[in-house]
Amino acid sequence: MKMIRAILRPDTAEDVAEGLADAGFVSMTKVNVFGRGKQKGITVGTIHYDELPKTMILMVVEDKDVDVVLKTIQDKAYTGNFGDGKVFITGVEEAYTVRTGTKGL
Amino acid sequence: MKEIIAIIRPKKVGPTRNALEQLGFNSMTATAVLGRGAQRGIASEVRAELSPELLAGNAGGMKYIPKRLVSIMVHDFDVDKVVKSIIEVNQTLQIGDGKIFVCPLEDAIRVRTQERGESAV
Repeated sequence: MKMIRAILRPDTAEDVAEGLADAGFVSMTKVNVFGRGKQKGITVGTIHYDELPKTMILMVVEDKDVDVVLKTIQDKAYTGNFGDGKVFITGVEEAYTVRTGTKGL
Repeated sequence: MKEIIAIIRPKKVGPTRNALEQLGFNSMTATAVLGRGAQRGIASEVRAELSPELLAGNAGGMKYIPKRLVSIMVHDFDVDKVVKSIIEVNQTLQIGDGKIFVCPLEDAIRVRTQERGESAV
């Protein structure tokens, strides 16, 4: 299993969530976060914004589904400008459902 | 070292904390998050008679449900104990109890002393 953490624009996050749901990946967690990228935030006129609001989508999927999820995120979150976001993939060794206590997604 | 990420009901954070404290795991991080599971939000989470149309369109439901994400770093040999205890405390047998993920953790550093590895957890 892999954990996918996508840090996206708050306004595209909902599109991504819908796209993922249509592709069959309904389960996800959304967190409102603040962050900056390589551009060190954004400067508008004389005002410098150090940290920009972002939405982090966190989901755990089977290894074979990673490519589909990545493609969906890429399709929905792409605007071509700086700040579209980043996706990180990390390993997950075990998953449990609390209600049933069973292993697996 | 392993990171245990549990996404649980907000109401259950207190009991979970107490249970883990009794086992000797005092440190944890909790974040308020929004989420949904295989049921697409709240329309089918409540135990009530809902018409099929309502469930299908998810009309009038909640897209996301407030949850708490609890992250606990533990040694490899403590994983089973912690997971078992979280399941015990959080189980209500109703949909929406949450999920637990166990992820590998490469390194840990204690900022105050700059210890690294197992002793820093």
